[in-house]
Amino acid sequence: MNFSINRVAFIKALNVVQRAISAKTTIPILTGLKIDVTDHEIMLTGSNADISIQTTISTANPDNELQIQATGSLVLSPARFFAEIVKKLPDRELQVDVADQYQTTIKSGNSEFNINGLDANGYPHLPEIDHEHQIELPAKLLREVISQTVIAVSKQESRPILTGVHFTLEKHLLAVATDSHRLSQREVELESPLTSPADFVIPGDSLKELSRMLDDEEDLIKLSLSENQVLFTFGETQFYSRLLEGNYPDTSRLIPNSSDTKVQFAAGELLAAVERASLLSHESRNNVIKLTIKPADKQVMITGNSPDVGKVEENLEPQALSGNDLEISFNPDYLREALRVFGSVPVEVAFTSALRPFTIKPLERPDEFIQLITPVRTF
Amino acid sequence: MVTAIHELSTRLADQISAGEVIERPASVVKELVENSIDAQSTKIDVVIEDTNHQVIKVIDNGTGIVPEQVELAFRRYATSKISQSEDLTRIHSLGFRGEALPSIASIAKVTMQTSDGIHPGVQLQVMGGQLGTKQPAASRRGTTVVVSDLFYNTPHRRRYLKSANTELAKITETINQLALGHPQIAISLRHNQKEVLQTAGRGNLQQVIGGIYNNQILKQLLAVDRSTDDFIVHGYIGKPELTRASRNYISLIINGRYVRNADLSKAVIAGYGSKLMVGRFPMVILELTIDPSRLDVNVQPTKQAVRLLDHQELGLFLTETISQRLQKQNLIPQALDNKVVRTTVSAHNQMEVALNLTEATPPIAQLPATPQPDQPVKSTQRSVVGAPILVKTSDDLQQPAVRAFQQRYAQEPAGAPFENQPTALKTFPSLRYLAQVHGTYLVAEGDEGLYLIDQHAAQERINYERLRVAVGKVENSEQPLLVPLIFDYSAAEALTIQQNLATLASIGLQLEPFGSNSFVVHQHPTWIKAGQEESTIRELIDWVLVHRQVSIADFREQTAIMASCKQAIKANHHLDQKQAVALLQRLAQCENPYNCPHGRPVLVHFSNTDLETMFKRIQDTHDSKESEF
Ligand SMILES: Nc1ncnc2c1ncn2[C@@H]1O[C@H](COP(=O)(O)OP(=O)(O)OP(=O)(O)O)[C@@H](O)[C@H]1O
Ligand SMILES: [Mg+2]
Ligand SMILES: [Zn+2]
Repeated sequence: MNFSINRVAFIKALNVVQRAISAKTTIPILTGLKIDVTDHEIMLTGSNADISIQTTISTANPDNELQIQATGSLVLSPARFFAEIVKKLPDRELQVDVADQYQTTIKSGNSEFNINGLDANGYPHLPEIDHEHQIELPAKLLREVISQTVIAVSKQESRPILTGVHFTLEKHLLAVATDSHRLSQREVELESPLTSPADFVIPGDSLKELSRMLDDEEDLIKLSLSENQVLFTFGETQFYSRLLEGNYPDTSRLIPNSSDTKVQFAAGELLAAVERASLLSHESRNNVIKLTIKPADKQVMITGNSPDVGKVEENLEPQALSGNDLEISFNPDYLREALRVFGSVPVEVAFTSALRPFTIKPLERPDEFIQLITPVRTF
Repeated sequence: MVTAIHELSTRLADQISAGEVIERPASVVKELVENSIDAQSTKIDVVIEDTNHQVIKVIDNGTGIVPEQVELAFRRYATSKISQSEDLTRIHSLGFRGEALPSIASIAKVTMQTSDGIHPGVQLQVMGGQLGTKQPAASRRGTTVVVSDLFYNTPHRRRYLKSANTELAKITETINQLALGHPQIAISLRHNQKEVLQTAGRGNLQQVIGGIYNNQILKQLLAVDRSTDDFIVHGYIGKPELTRASRNYISLIINGRYVRNADLSKAVIAGYGSKLMVGRFPMVILELTIDPSRLDVNVQPTKQAVRLLDHQELGLFLTETISQRLQKQNLIPQALDNKVVRTTVSAHNQMEVALNLTEATPPIAQLPATPQPDQPVKSTQRSVVGAPILVKTSDDLQQPAVRAFQQRYAQEPAGAPFENQPTALKTFPSLRYLAQVHGTYLVAEGDEGLYLIDQHAAQERINYERLRVAVGKVENSEQPLLVPLIFDYSAAEALTIQQNLATLASIGLQLEPFGSNSFVVHQHPTWIKAGQEESTIRELIDWVLVHRQVSIADFREQTAIMASCKQAIKANHHLDQKQAVALLQRLAQCENPYNCPHGRPVLVHFSNTDLETMFKRIQDTHDSKESEF
């Protein structure tokens, strides 16, 4: 293997794959960076037990200033060390040359590093991807789906399946997450529906990492599936994540399809009031606040109560309200996190009874996004 | 028609006894490996294959059986290990009942191939108690036993078998227990061609522990070796920080036999005194050697329960051994080894604070104002309370009075600090907050000197006193779960839980039976922190399992402690001036501001005299005055 390349272009690609490389892994070769050089491109691969990232640098893009003298593959380990070297090299370009026994020379300007590489055959193979189950989504939309659902993902490792977001694909894409205290569900109409349905659970942490990488993306993201991996392709990069094994609980019956009391708010205003009330509830042992709704009197009151510290009461100004009187208590943190993802749009909060979960939906296109919160039973 | 009374057919009798000895595949493994151990093997390989249910194969290199006796091995009550009934009082072997092989052969297909290495080898197949014909086989010294089709003729038992994974877990646990008792034997376990465990057989217990748990854990273990005329103990005990949620990590091996004995486990836990978090258990692996005639292993067909003639003595011996080992560890913290002055002060004052807990002790205010450095506590002084203990150098820590005090404090029952403390403590100093150190400790001054406060412990104490009242009130609110939690237990555990459902319900935990030994929880009290539902509920249930019967009062106490710890600010958390001052104020209002609910100190005191001594102002008053001029 022998190539020379523009240092900045190389660092950019390194930064991308390094997201998947962890120093703490039980498989030693995964602390390394895999480099594959073929006739017209270099492919970098980084991987941990959960995600793998691959990115290509092509001779076709003149900015890369890529010149390939000899092809080949190897693993440089630890990757962090190699990346540090590349970042500190003096010149605009660098040259990588691999001799026998994976002896690697990195040259730039007057500086020359010699490091030991490893045989790339020891590196795990990335999964074969099934092209039947494939959809495309705009980057912005995918980011939105992720941010709306990962908030409800469980942090309890003891229930691994709930630490992921459950996707079902057919005519629609449906993404659901629940930590069993609240649930968040987003639906997206697919432009070209799948011929056979697919159903899988992606770890919440993988999605958060993916979302960070999509920050600057504008184009379409391609999602494809294999038996136990999902692949997101964007630009020159492929992002693989492991899927969670097991059956996701059936959440379809959890969402109520009717309601007895409805209140509309500007999400931001309700959020501010909840944050104020939770100042007090956080001081109490239960962390519970109460909503008292009296549609006839056009009144919605939020109360927080801490026996040790005191009490807060605030009259809210809903944009509309209808239905039966209701008193309901709940953990304000769940409502707060739910409201944050709505930004400032108007929302409808719908209740059935003091003991049944209540829902929050955007007023516009209410079928697309729904959040569900379980109330607290007080005695 | 009247059924005549008749003797049970041997086959039926074997099946009944199989029911007692052989509960599941792991029991088969246990019996076979024990036989291999008794046959003086130095290498035992266990192979489990998941084809056609489970096939279990045990290969050893032991004495083997001579050709003409192979059938005998399968006969009920045939054993080579004991002959007269007095032998029962001096059992050195693991097996002695002569019923394991016939029991297994009555409910499964068993093939044994064996040779003593001298005579030609033979192979014999037995199925459902029917002996097959003996065939010649290779004469490798040792025995291979293959068991398949377990429970083929007792379908109701087969139905109770758990998934292959659960059974494998039990098998692994069994092998672990046997390996811990026999570090000198190389024992391996393979499952579907994959190695699960392999011990080196070099007689090194530490290596075996590392292989079973992980090597990381070794750093947290302390070696224990002690012998008296009656007992010898060798093994490892976990530092108090290394805790587990159940007693299952206390492994006691008596004369090579892994035993379960509640009294001895309690004695081990007692050795930790108040050093363990409530509801948490230590990790302990101890090999005990005692006179076999003092030990009755013929209590139960599975031979795991034992009766000890000297169980009280042995219990005391264990408690003492452990508490002494831990004291050695605690009294000389490495970081302070070469900083005699600091050791002095903190040790001294920790004791002052602690001493205040015992009623007989005068409060700090009544202690002599100045220490008398030239009058060390005389070694004849026996009482540990009533007089201050003066510690000036680390050597003083060896004083009998100090040791006696430590011993007493270490053995203080864990419950003691939680009781309402007699308020001999009206002297709690008024503290002026100065600073926070490392986001963990608060520094404050009072008229009597300088104080260091552990912020986590302080907050725990405050929370605890508040929650102890709050949990008692029945206004518990409940958070329902969209997806219920399911908890699986062993049959024995499930029974205990069943018996305590009402107690659990009284603190808001509604467990509903769900399948054979599982429980489902649809809602939980809101004081349980999000993300900790499962672990907290497990801890609560574990607590019931340990204490068997619990009173509601105990339970509330426990619940409050647990909640207070989970809600308390942790170390490495920055507090601003206001928060710190508020914390100290609330601490001062506590009934017992000196200890956290787990019994650890909340604050330590450096008296003015201590400070002066540290800076040599007391001894050198004259000199320092002079040098100022
Ligand atoms: N692996 C072996 N190597 C040599 N002899 C064996 C082996 N397994 C069994 N035997 C012989 O077969 C006899 C019967 O074994 P079995 O397990 O049924 O009874 P036991 O070990 O004597 O008592 P227990 O029922 O308590 O296990 C043993 O006493 C022993 O003589
Ligand atoms: Mg036996
Ligand atoms: Zn504590």
